[in-house]
Amino acid sequence: MTARKLVVVSAGLSQPSSTRMLGDRLADATVARLREHGAEVEVTTVELRDVASDIMNNMLTGFASPKLEAVIDAVTGADGLIAVTPIFTTSYSGLFKSFFDILDNRSLTDMPVLIGATAGTARHSLALDYAIRPMFTYLHAVVVPTSVFAASEDWGSGADTVKTLPDRIDRAAGELVPLVIASERSTSVRDPFGFDAALSLIGG
Amino acid sequence: MQFGIFSVGDITTDPTTGHTPTDASRLQDILTIAQHAEAVGLDVFAMGEHHNPPFFPSSPVAINSFLAARTERIILSTATTLITTNDPVRLAEDYATLQHLSGGRMDLTLGRGNTGPVYPWFGEDIRQGIPLALEKYALLRRLWREDVVDWEGEFRTPLQGFTATPRPLDGTPPFVWHGSIRSPEIAEQAAFYGDGFFSNHIFWPASHTQKMVAFYRQRFEHYGHGRADQAIVGLGGQVFMRKNSQDAVREFRPYFDNAPVYGHGPSLEDFTSQTPLTVGSPQEVIDKTLGFRNYVGDYQRQLFLMDHAGLPLKTVLEQLDLLGEEVVPVLRREFAKGRAADIPDAPTHRSLAAASASAPVLVDSEVK
Repeated sequence: MTARKLVVVSAGLSQPSSTRMLGDRLADATVARLREHGAEVEVTTVELRDVASDIMNNMLTGFASPKLEAVIDAVTGADGLIAVTPIFTTSYSGLFKSFFDILDNRSLTDMPVLIGATAGTARHSLALDYAIRPMFTYLHAVVVPTSVFAASEDWGSGADTVKTLPDRIDRAAGELVPLVIASERSTSVRDPFGFDAALSLIGG
Repeated sequence: MQFGIFSVGDITTDPTTGHTPTDASRLQDILTIAQHAEAVGLDVFAMGEHHNPPFFPSSPVAINSFLAARTERIILSTATTLITTNDPVRLAEDYATLQHLSGGRMDLTLGRGNTGPVYPWFGEDIRQGIPLALEKYALLRRLWREDVVDWEGEFRTPLQGFTATPRPLDGTPPFVWHGSIRSPEIAEQAAFYGDGFFSNHIFWPASHTQKMVAFYRQRFEHYGHGRADQAIVGLGGQVFMRKNSQDAVREFRPYFDNAPVYGHGPSLEDFTSQTPLTVGSPQEVIDKTLGFRNYVGDYQRQLFLMDHAGLPLKTVLEQLDLLGEEVVPVLRREFAKGRAADIPDAPTHRSLAAASASAPVLVDSEVK
């Protein structure tokens, strides 16, 4: 099997960022399980902050800068996507949403996705299921059942001691791995000029 | 090779003075601009079509008909004529009329239009943009080529025994370009019919234009209209010039920063490095424009966007002077170098009528 391509997209803003930290943990767990299956894996991590102005420029002009184009190609050509965002004002951050807004809305079709989010308190955890999961569903991505939410307390005292953060991460990674192994996304050649089957030049 | 200008017809406040032109003044200005384009030796003027402010030209065919009477030599084209929301019968009639009024000194570029509400205003649905463009153009072609048309389709009332008048000048339908930024279906359509393909080119990276044009060329050959390098390609371009490069950048920057399409986004420097926009000396414009050939091959028509973003009339006319006097003569000379003899020029009424006269079809009228 050719190396599986796994991409982590983090919309964390601070340095260091707990969102990035969650993304890294999810990636580590996924990589470990992929290796157990004998799969080679290449991990690319994207901090959206690094292309923040490019994303807004793309929104304004309709095209991506070369730097952003490389990010888009990496994300859309991956076998699996780990997408993590901080929860701002009850939902994904605007930067996170803006990145997915500029993608061709067909480019994540069938993409295996694991979603994660961070916030100050666990009271925001359902944002994963009422905002982030539907966004990927709209894009026809395949989102694994377990999404991982990490509140500040999950990183230390006050963390859930029954279903711990590492447990949740491991369970989510376990769900993502078979989909990544089965994916043919990174090896398939995409035809940029592919037409809808309905195209008829005679014009009806 | 043809050189000219195309106008979107935007009404934009001049960011340096706060002055906003009226519909009336912009309309008069564009007539002046088109006539000046001819005066400085350009070959083509192309007018856009829009049905919403802040754009004034809803009827390029009316504007071009007026210009046909006021000009002698320049080809009057469009950028673009909306094939999706216009009735193809009306288009066949209007543009055939323009063809007679101008003595064949016209062609048209079809586009779909990307303003959502325009479609429902004309009873259409933007999600059907491609099928609309395909069906309506297929009918438009027949209306110009068949004296009596029976037709039934999805997007228009059926026709039985319909004859579009006037019949095309010299029995020769107007030449058609198909314009598209990102839809390969439209490049395929242009290739299928052996029509021209116009890539807007400005606002987007060259790599994108390169792929679309290469695809059109390959499909043109596939459909048996000639070799790929003989396909009929037009490109847009966008320039602002002063003798001194720094003066051009200084003067154009406020227009760039506030322009409707790219304003408040990327820097002028980023945009010029990523797209065909050139802001600088005439020599820089020459160098960048000659570079287009490196990624689309020898092509037939180069149009520049000159009157937009609130630039005052006086400035636009100065730009046309520079274009006509310093840039285009050099481009004509340099583009001709190394161009194979069997690379065709853009079809004109004269060349098409001559070709159909030499074909085994009777054509009564004399070729003009």
